[in-house]
Amino acid sequence: MAMVRRSEFLPWLPPIGRKTLFALVVAFICFAFAFPVLWLILTSLRPESGVYYVHRGTEFTLLSFAEVLSDERIVAAFLNSALISTLATVFSLLVTVSSGYMLSRFTGPASRIWFGTIYVFRCVPYISWVLPLYFVTQSWGIYDTYTGLLLPHVAVHICFFSWLMKGFFDGIDPSMEYAAMIDGCTRWGAFIRVAVPSALPAISALAVLCWLFTWNEFLFALILTGNRVPMITVVMAQFVTEMGLRWNLMAATAVMALVPAFLIALFGQKYVIRGLRI
Amino acid sequence: MSASRRPMFGEQQRFVLLLIAPAALLLLLFQVVPIVIGANASFRDWALYNPKKTWIGFDHYVAVITDPAFLYVVLPNTFLFMVLSVAGALVAGLMLALLLNRPFRGQKLVQTILLVPLMVAPVIAAIMIRWIFNDQFGIVNVVLEAIGLEGQPWLVQRWSAFGIILLTDIWLWTPWFTLLLLAGLQSLPKEPFEAAAIDGTTTWRVFRFLTLPMLRPVIVVCVVIRAIDAFRTFDIVWTLTGGGPGRSTELFSLYAYVHAFLNLDLGRGSAAAIVGGLIILVIGVVLYRLVDRIAKA
Repeated sequence: MAMVRRSEFLPWLPPIGRKTLFALVVAFICFAFAFPVLWLILTSLRPESGVYYVHRGTEFTLLSFAEVLSDERIVAAFLNSALISTLATVFSLLVTVSSGYMLSRFTGPASRIWFGTIYVFRCVPYISWVLPLYFVTQSWGIYDTYTGLLLPHVAVHICFFSWLMKGFFDGIDPSMEYAAMIDGCTRWGAFIRVAVPSALPAISALAVLCWLFTWNEFLFALILTGNRVPMITVVMAQFVTEMGLRWNLMAATAVMALVPAFLIALFGQKYVIRGLRI
Repeated sequence: MSASRRPMFGEQQRFVLLLIAPAALLLLLFQVVPIVIGANASFRDWALYNPKKTWIGFDHYVAVITDPAFLYVVLPNTFLFMVLSVAGALVAGLMLALLLNRPFRGQKLVQTILLVPLMVAPVIAAIMIRWIFNDQFGIVNVVLEAIGLEGQPWLVQRWSAFGIILLTDIWLWTPWFTLLLLAGLQSLPKEPFEAAAIDGTTTWRVFRFLTLPMLRPVIVVCVVIRAIDAFRTFDIVWTLTGGGPGRSTELFSLYAYVHAFLNLDLGRGSAAAIVGGLIILVIGVVLYRLVDRIAKA
């Protein structure tokens, strides 16, 4: 694409003006994109009196963070969210890599039926199955437990990630697997030792996305948990209704919830872009 | 690759079934079973305070379909939201992907900043936006008043609240489009673009006649996936307005949730969820046909 440079971006401007304008436009876009997050961070650093009157002083404090961190329920919610996200990522990958591989490598009725099933369930709105899932998990005795939150989360990811995984495996030449099988590998050996390693960039991309989706998920956490397994998104939403106007505490919690996601995405973006490109 | 794929033989059957067995089992337990139970519930008078679960046939469906709130507020809101959210995020995402696809100084930094919303949980986004548009202390009104304009009660008027929900959603999902479209752009062959550059074709014509047609499969897949997701949006609306003012920004997921968990009428909520599920299923199948045709063309 570097070749197409001659005529682009306001050719009537002199080069220097063009460059400045371009930089300004990019800077403005970046600012607009980052503004809500910047404002949130700023709010979390203001003392309670400063939060409501932006023009009153430039005092900053870490008190909101201290107060949030001393709240056991919020800390527990953080740990829970991290644990569930990590476990859900591991289990989702275990389940969807093999199912995507099957969709990509085999044709025939089983594969077609499975693909149709996945597509249909991808369309079903979450509310249509979490709503009764609330009663199902209660009657199975797993409501408000780790199992009762983890397994539905893995189930959410099955359709989308199997589909993505199929796409990734479609882009990988299967001849290596056949070669391995001729050399005496079993089918499982060819899958685990040849196909999975060559799909590793895609699998890393999927892991990043999966972790972020679970960490950010709200509806499942809202409906499937009570008090024993608090999730951070639910705790934050409760802030809005229960704690009234304590915006600095809410902002501090939100900022802390952003940090792990930010780190994962920052280190993962390379994998995501590379993985999605296959 | 499809030529080297083999049809399924008898000896392979076990391998194939084992590959999908865990996924299929989870799907069965946590989606199929609940949906069947939900379908059963939708035909019964099943409320938390009334555990008799008498069979009442299609009464709940009739009640949902003839509910003016559902017909004239919830459905139009949901479709309007779906169309505008997808269109907005697609246009913004495409523009940003094109921007990031050309090298310039600081490109890595810009790319990282533009991906920020991807990491923000919808609930957090909703909280931030709610705070920014707060009618007393929000920065938007403070700035407006500082430059002599009148602050607005943004979230308690129907269309401004709807607009803000939409804006939040577009902000949240634009990076997702950017990411997929950027990946698509970077995998395009270089030669046509070099040829166009030698011919001195304008940027707009390159975009219109080269980039856009070649990106079409990626665009269509993005649109289908996002449209289906937009239909079931819950978290940002729930946190931003709770469906208010009144019920004027209620979307379909909220309608089902409110009936089941706030009005404690599980039968009615299930019926609403199934009506919505059927609608989106039809849309999904139609869209899938479209993708298939475009991918083959």
